[in-house]
Amino acid sequence: MPSVCFYFQVHQPMRLKPFTFFQVGRDHSYFDEKLNREVMQKVSSKCYIPTNKLMLDLIRRHNGAFRVAYSITGVAIEQMLKYAPEALESFIDLSKTGCVEFLAETYYHSLSSITDPLEFRQQVKMHSALMEKFFGQRPSVFRNTELIYNDQIGDLVAAMGYKAIIAEGADDILQWRSPHFVYRKPGCDLRLLLKSYRLSDDVAFRFSDKSWSEHPLTATKFAKWVHAISGNGETLNLFMDYETFGEHQWSSSGIFEFLNALPSEILKYGDWNFLTPSQVIERYQPVAELNFPRLVSWADVDRDITAWHGNKMQKSSLAQIYSLGKDVRKRNNPSTSDFWRRLQTSDHFYYMCTKWFADGDVHAYFNPYKSPYEAFINYMNVLTDFREYVLGITASDSPTAIPMTIRTSA
Amino acid sequence: MKTLMLGWEYPPHISGGLGTACQGLTTALAKLGVKIDFVIPKVEGDEHAEHMAIIDPASATHLNMPDMNGTQNNHDKQGMLAGPSTTTTVNKTARNIRFVEIPANLYPYAMPNKKYSYVEHFKSISKEIVLPAQITEILERAAEQAPDFPNYNGDLFAEVDRYTKNVIKMAGNSFFDIIHAHDWMTFPAGIALSRLTGVPLVTHVHSLEHDRSGDNVNEHIHIIERSGVENAHTVIAVSYYTRSVINQQHGIPLDKIAVVHNGVYSKEVVQSYKKEKCAKPKIVLFLGRITFQKGPDYFVEAAAKVIPAMPDVTFVMAGTGDMLNPLINRVTDLGLEKHFVFTGFLKGEEVERMFSVADLYVMPSVSEPFGITPLEAMNHDVPVIISKQSGVSEILKNALKIDYWDVDKLAHLIISVLKYPEVREDIATMAREEVRRIRWEAAAEKVFQLYCKILGATAPV
Repeated sequence: MPSVCFYFQVHQPMRLKPFTFFQVGRDHSYFDEKLNREVMQKVSSKCYIPTNKLMLDLIRRHNGAFRVAYSITGVAIEQMLKYAPEALESFIDLSKTGCVEFLAETYYHSLSSITDPLEFRQQVKMHSALMEKFFGQRPSVFRNTELIYNDQIGDLVAAMGYKAIIAEGADDILQWRSPHFVYRKPGCDLRLLLKSYRLSDDVAFRFSDKSWSEHPLTATKFAKWVHAISGNGETLNLFMDYETFGEHQWSSSGIFEFLNALPSEILKYGDWNFLTPSQVIERYQPVAELNFPRLVSWADVDRDITAWHGNKMQKSSLAQIYSLGKDVRKRNNPSTSDFWRRLQTSDHFYYMCTKWFADGDVHAYFNPYKSPYEAFINYMNVLTDFREYVLGITASDSPTAIPMTIRTSA
Repeated sequence: MKTLMLGWEYPPHISGGLGTACQGLTTALAKLGVKIDFVIPKVEGDEHAEHMAIIDPASATHLNMPDMNGTQNNHDKQGMLAGPSTTTTVNKTARNIRFVEIPANLYPYAMPNKKYSYVEHFKSISKEIVLPAQITEILERAAEQAPDFPNYNGDLFAEVDRYTKNVIKMAGNSFFDIIHAHDWMTFPAGIALSRLTGVPLVTHVHSLEHDRSGDNVNEHIHIIERSGVENAHTVIAVSYYTRSVINQQHGIPLDKIAVVHNGVYSKEVVQSYKKEKCAKPKIVLFLGRITFQKGPDYFVEAAAKVIPAMPDVTFVMAGTGDMLNPLINRVTDLGLEKHFVFTGFLKGEEVERMFSVADLYVMPSVSEPFGITPLEAMNHDVPVIISKQSGVSEILKNALKIDYWDVDKLAHLIISVLKYPEVREDIATMAREEVRRIRWEAAAEKVFQLYCKILGATAPV
């Protein structure tokens, strides 16, 4: 009895306002309230609210046979509370159906898992408390920022008591194996749920691509591909950004009609069902152990961390923000910590990515900067102000090398 | 396919980007098998003579000779050719380009006279400044090689007339498939020759009077320019920006104007200069004519905002022009003379060296049809800030871009680039790759396709 396991990522960063060098030392408000409000309200009205409404409808229509999971970052929830409370309400409504699971992650959608384990645990705890507060659930399955994962992160997460972690079903890791089974991390009982990237990306990236040979993608066609797995797998993990619905794929592409028709098409084959991640690991036993010797993510074709930690600008700014940890902790001031943590959100570093810049790629999505260089300059001006005028540390003390606690390669 | 190209300058004797562009385009076109007779007002003899054929004015009547015959030239020290029948051919590419000198004294931009050369000004305004050794060396070398372009003191339009008459006299009975005229100076000759021979005319707009003079356009030049684009079979613009200006200024329909972005040739010589960079002070470079078009005043105003925040910066202005004196006064009024170096006109090796010592290159042009210098800077691993009002900004990704009037943003970016070495390094890495993709071969290919289209369309039935 194979299962479809849906997990959707909900995240919006707190984008920085344009911050010139002349503001350093004169201005300690860093975030672009207006832009962040605009983006949150736009995404709420085009994606979160209509998609949640449809999800609620699908759950009711299928009498609880349709189930999904979400991971919603703390910074996204804060912004919903502030700018689009009705979006948060609609997630709370979903949480009451009993068919929706909420996953754990870092509150700030940070890269702390690879740079600062102490900070990482703090942020996961904060997020877990937030999930309990709004959705009445304490998460038991973990999802790391951008699905960044390797064995060391596995140890870190297992030690915190999580039963399972979401990861990318990268080809070089799986080799001949199928992503359609549950795996186990060697050395501890942490289950691995691997994204089936081909079928996930058919929806998330290719759905409205008219040059794709399978365009237009119908629910019937997709269900046929899903059913083809019967006998060769137990769980089909469809993991994607929630903004796929209505934002990455516009409403006019037919994405909502597709989603509306999909559950009944999947359930047509009597033995298929929908499960949430924690139900999947209860239902299916791991078929094998799986090592992740390198850092894997779900980004770009490289499926590594170079989208955030690739060029000199990214490496240096990451090193500099995390090097402030000691000083921030010493202060023990909630507002200072919050500023510091908001500056850790991975998107700030993603905007500095030069890899696909020449091609003008998906990196442009909601990117407030004209170039990765301006993204870096803006970030560094803010960081300089924070370091020198909020924390009172002089620039000469700052590192340029990376104190990575986790090796970035095997 | 044979093209008669009408130009007015060729490296190393150049006053701006036009000569460099003609060199790049003709070299790449020759590789595609296009035979080019290149006419310039004044052949000095050292126009990269190792790979081209040169005919001096006395032999201009030989223009329609079927082919070059490989005779060795032996020009004297002044670079003038020794005899009427002397030609040089070195390689296959070179065989496709011939240089023809037309006697004319043609400098389209008001050129400075010697009193603008850097030395006097440099001494007068910056006695106390201690210059980095690299810059002093460049200045000394530049001083030894006094500007070699003649001052244009006569009537420019009479010179255009003379050039036109000579071109007709020389080429009126020759055979070629296309006349390709570069900028307004050569347009009258191109039009006349095209009418006389029925050969289709391509006018290539590298720069417009509107770009050079803003609202104070010279009406006469404006009219010549207009008749050039009106009488052309096809107009080539060096950017979409220039294409739209031609359309607005001269009412030429957009579909008659093709856009061919310039290319750039990576230079081998660059490597040897790279180690010359000095730690302090940081050097911010302006290099170009010091005229309205290039926005040198915005460079000075931005510097005035940078210095209080970052005192250890030297702003180098390389070039000369009618705004040099007012700008030197402005720098003095601002009390920034310790932070400014005016080098005067630099050429050849000194340009290379100047780029190589710079930490940042700024091109704040008010109106720049293309702007090839940022590409040269990128070739030297120097990050660039360019104005959005430049054609080159249409094709460059790995550059910082500003509106020329946004002095605050310019100052902020100058400080940031100097302050954060990571951004300089990443821009340099990416720009190095990018500049290699901006190839003259691609430009020549487009021009070649245009030629084919024109000849197909105008071929006699």
